[in-house]
Amino acid sequence: MEEYVISLEGIKGLLENLTREGFNIYAPSKNNDRFVKVKDIDEVALFPDRRPTDISAKECLFPKCEPVFYYKREKNNVEIVDIDPNGNKVLFGLKPCDAASFTIIHKVFNWDYKDKFYNKRFDNSLIIGLACTYLDDYCFCTSVGLSPVSTVGSDILLVRLSDVSFGVIVITDKGGQLVKRYPQLFEKGEPTKSKQVLDSIGGPARKFDHKKVKEWLDNNFETDFFNSIGDICVGCGQCTFVCPTCHCFDIVDEDYLYSEGRRMKNWDGCQFYLFTLHASGHNPRDTQYKRYRQRVNHKFKYYVDRFQEVLCTGCGRCSRGCPVSIDIGDIVSRISKLS
Amino acid sequence: MVANIQEKSLYLPRLAKMTKKERFTEKEMFFEFRFDDGSNLNHRPGQFVELSIYGIGEAPISISSSPTQQGYFELCVRAVGRVTNYLHKNLDVGSYVGIRGPFGNGFPYEKFKGYDMLFICGGLGVAPLRSLINYTLDKTKRNEFGKVYILYGCKNNQEWLYQKEVESWLNRADVETYLTVDKCTDSNWKGNVGVITTLIPKVNFDVNKTIAVICGPPVMYKFVVLELKNRNFKEENIYMSLERKMKCGVGKCGHCQINNVYVCQSGPVFDLPTVRKLQEAI
Repeated sequence: MEEYVISLEGIKGLLENLTREGFNIYAPSKNNDRFVKVKDIDEVALFPDRRPTDISAKECLFPKCEPVFYYKREKNNVEIVDIDPNGNKVLFGLKPCDAASFTIIHKVFNWDYKDKFYNKRFDNSLIIGLACTYLDDYCFCTSVGLSPVSTVGSDILLVRLSDVSFGVIVITDKGGQLVKRYPQLFEKGEPTKSKQVLDSIGGPARKFDHKKVKEWLDNNFETDFFNSIGDICVGCGQCTFVCPTCHCFDIVDEDYLYSEGRRMKNWDGCQFYLFTLHASGHNPRDTQYKRYRQRVNHKFKYYVDRFQEVLCTGCGRCSRGCPVSIDIGDIVSRISKLS
Repeated sequence: MVANIQEKSLYLPRLAKMTKKERFTEKEMFFEFRFDDGSNLNHRPGQFVELSIYGIGEAPISISSSPTQQGYFELCVRAVGRVTNYLHKNLDVGSYVGIRGPFGNGFPYEKFKGYDMLFICGGLGVAPLRSLINYTLDKTKRNEFGKVYILYGCKNNQEWLYQKEVESWLNRADVETYLTVDKCTDSNWKGNVGVITTLIPKVNFDVNKTIAVICGPPVMYKFVVLELKNRNFKEENIYMSLERKMKCGVGKCGHCQINNVYVCQSGPVFDLPTVRKLQEAI
């Protein structure tokens, strides 16, 4: 891995140049609630110790609502217009737990049929990660195979060396090309210095073995374990919406005139009663504990069975935002001790 | 399973024109659709399509015609939701709908060759099974299968679907058809009264060379399986088509997931040993 050093001014210069080249820059918003398109580069925050944004960076590549085609109707005739999800993006300042999510959900969008909406956005994006020093009671990235300094999913990982300089670790060819395009902004770096910083960043306090969680889930489907959680959970589904790896969606039509409209792909969540309700009235997951069991199983068992990845990056968003304080980290830690 | 990977967007439907519309019952209607270029749907019995009405939405509907019927395909639709009610009430012959698919695995009929076939249909479950029944009974395919038994049950005498075809099955010498109604509402009815499981003891099949194919409301599966087990039916010879809410049809959106299986892709047809391993399946 090549290493460089870039100054704070250099980063600003880089982002300005990329904007001029036609890239849209996405970075955490001022109040840290989500990733937004950057209008003023001076406002980009570069603090590795900030809390993860309320909503993950997932929506940059897999938007909450996106049109999949437009249609026009006239009596019996229908005309359909396809959509081309192009446009170059730079996702800037992602914590490793956000950057890793794209590698994970890439698998479900490509296992058989390919989802061009996700793929085109992914191919046209450059992901610049930022090694993280924010650790709270909800974080558990090290328990799902990642770390605050993980390079998974980033094209380039920045490491804060001082107030004014950042180490640049080049991870992919895409990242390498970016450095080559702007040689004046990057100085050759000393790997030892950023390694020192990386080594000094510890991990979150919460630790469990996700393999143990799967082992228990493999053998315990019909169990009382989830009943009490089902009693507390209000089924609001915020956990599925803030999650960087949840990827379920709905397909609905929106008519904005009588004769024309668009078909939308909107996020959906397994915590809703309507999620599995059939038109016939039958609902295979008719109570909340079954829906919560589905979420835990999907993340720590089903996705592992199918794609050999844990569908969780340990960012802790679902727990931080839960209105009734259900903490998935606590739940799976307890499960890991049961097997 | 052969994935027909589309280069274009996965969510972009093809337009199909409604060429027939016929009322079966108060709730169910029969539809025939054709593509303008005359092409076939190229489906397998047991597969489904995503049918869309622009501005209303999209719903998964099982294909009711056999692939041996060329140039068109048929659906039997119960009016229960937005899309299906609109289809019933507001669209007429000549209208266009969107079709995506066919999706799903369909029945593994290659494996059924040489076997006797036992079809167990409850209510609207006859719609997907009719595709396989008509395939089995097609004159070019009939000699590939042994005896054919059709068990078909309805709530009452007003609920029969495909009535003319059911009569033709009754009249065929190479098919044994058994009918039942849960509740008799026609004084002329001479047939069986009772749920579908009451028909199973009446059928004289050979458990060593019969495949049972089941489709009906979710509650039916458990009891039909029990009754078949009472007759020493082999689990691996029992196949069923499961109902799930399939939204995208291409294994992404998550609605139809049972454990690590996407029903829209690995199903909706499963054999009983597989269903036993899938928690929450039936």
